[in-house]
Amino acid sequence: MTSKDLTLTNVSRRFGTVTALDNFNLHVGVGELVALLGPSGCGKTTALRIIAGLESLDSGKVAVGEKDISKVPAHKRNMGMVFQAYSLFPNLTVEENVAFGLQMRKVAKHSRLKRSQELLELVGLPSHAKRFTHQLSGGQQQRVALARALAFSPEILLLDEPLSALDAQVRVNLREEIRRLQISLGTTTVFVTHDQEEAMSISDRVGVMSNGVLEQIDTPDVLYNAPATAFVANFVGVMNRIPANLADGKVNIFGKNLVASKKGSETGKIVALLRPETILVKKSENQGNAKVLTRSFLGASSAIICQTHEGTIVQSLMASLNTGEFQPGTSVDLEVTVNEVMVANG
Amino acid sequence: MKKRLDLPLLTTLGALSFFVFVPMLSAFEYSIRTPLEGGYGLTHYKWAVDNEDFFHYILRSGWLSALTVLITLIILVPTVTWLHLSDSKLRPLIDALSLLPLVIPVVAFAVGAQISFPEFVQNTVLELPFLYFVLALPYAYRALDIGLNSISLKTITEAARSTGASWVRTIISVIIPVIRGAVMATVALTFALSIGEYTLTVLLHWDTFPTWVTYVAQENILGAIAISMMSLVIPFVLLTSITLLTPDRSAQRRK
Repeated sequence: MTSKDLTLTNVSRRFGTVTALDNFNLHVGVGELVALLGPSGCGKTTALRIIAGLESLDSGKVAVGEKDISKVPAHKRNMGMVFQAYSLFPNLTVEENVAFGLQMRKVAKHSRLKRSQELLELVGLPSHAKRFTHQLSGGQQQRVALARALAFSPEILLLDEPLSALDAQVRVNLREEIRRLQISLGTTTVFVTHDQEEAMSISDRVGVMSNGVLEQIDTPDVLYNAPATAFVANFVGVMNRIPANLADGKVNIFGKNLVASKKGSETGKIVALLRPETILVKKSENQGNAKVLTRSFLGASSAIICQTHEGTIVQSLMASLNTGEFQPGTSVDLEVTVNEVMVANG
Repeated sequence: MKKRLDLPLLTTLGALSFFVFVPMLSAFEYSIRTPLEGGYGLTHYKWAVDNEDFFHYILRSGWLSALTVLITLIILVPTVTWLHLSDSKLRPLIDALSLLPLVIPVVAFAVGAQISFPEFVQNTVLELPFLYFVLALPYAYRALDIGLNSISLKTITEAARSTGASWVRTIISVIIPVIRGAVMATVALTFALSIGEYTLTVLLHWDTFPTWVTYVAQENILGAIAISMMSLVIPFVLLTSITLLTPDRSAQRRK
């Protein structure tokens, strides 16, 4: 296993007046898959391009293992990269594309074609070696790009939204395959995406970025259940924002007093952040505290969107079993099933 | 599927071939006349080939043109690639500058070269390829520009770099093969322009194949036409064989 760990220390990068990365720190352990997640313009792609050496940094340090590579040119970094756009060389066959990195490393022809065939088997395209790239579908092209990035046993694998251009079904299949390969090869991997489902489903840890800063980096479970900041809470998963009053460290939501877990100096008028699955909808005999707007059947669970009498839209996620009665217009009682709530400035 | 005849296209092509082929055929007919014996023969071609200067000058023009092509590729391919990748604000300016050789009269250009170049440059015939390069610049630049516009240059370059190719390797092993058509067009245009260049060469007092042909025409006009016919056919055959012999993978691509 040739993989190493990756460390970014206080990396900053400005484009004119725009700060793409601001004192950015990241450590990716050996064999770990870390996703960088964030809205467009948050700096995640810049971070990846700086790691790859395709973008220069203004200050800070990038290290692979113990070695500082901040000044090493891209082609000497020994990192495999898969791009969002189809990036295969159109003048080469599939196997020549995969072998390209080995050719640049002066590996003998028969060994590199052998390695190329191995990689094509790994990505499930063993019979496509002699084809040209334009004869492949989008998903196949990205598989070949992945094989090309892995063929020279890179120390780090970089994935720049490799699934964005693909159809939904292909995306899901390919991301599982990327994960399977990544685990079996033990390659340290950084995966940039704006799709949180993608990031959460295959990563060891996810770093949520906003405005050039890493807001929080942790396992998907922690990000979802214990977001460090209001931005992370809102960005990851669906979050209800319910206006309320904070007094004595308590918030009253739907008649229940909840302990507020504060992240800042919030006081007085705040919004309570509650996940849909922490809200229970019950049929009300009289007026209730809300009315059902819509119910979406999602299979095992259903999303019920309600509006309180104060006008707040609240989404609940419940097991589908007994939700058939919640037709639009039904008066219901909303209840909170947790005792603690995160609050943010309103 | 039966294609309908495209009348406007055929008319244009017809008119075009009239202007291109009729003079050529007439010149050919003229060059094989044998006025002394009457009828036709290859006398003048034989006369040309027997003339020892023929090979001297055609070789000289050949290597000068080949050198021009080399200079053009070495200077222009990295430059135009860089202009495309860097999104430089200079690009519109350089686009415009590359057209200058079309508007500056060759006479002015030649006089300028004579006034400004140091003597050791003017004393060597090697000044010609660099000047031919400038004359061919508008065409060569545009051919490469169009080629690079037609591919996703940035992604392909970054893919090559991250896979381990240095800048030089990226250009030689990836960019040039991908824009092969544009490179071949650049080679053909530059070569054709250099091998036929007359005005600049004469003004700078050099002798190449075209100036020699004009000189010969004064003593044997039919022989000069025979030579011209050959100079038309030889580069054509050369360029066609280069194009055919370079493995064209786009042909396989269309399978």
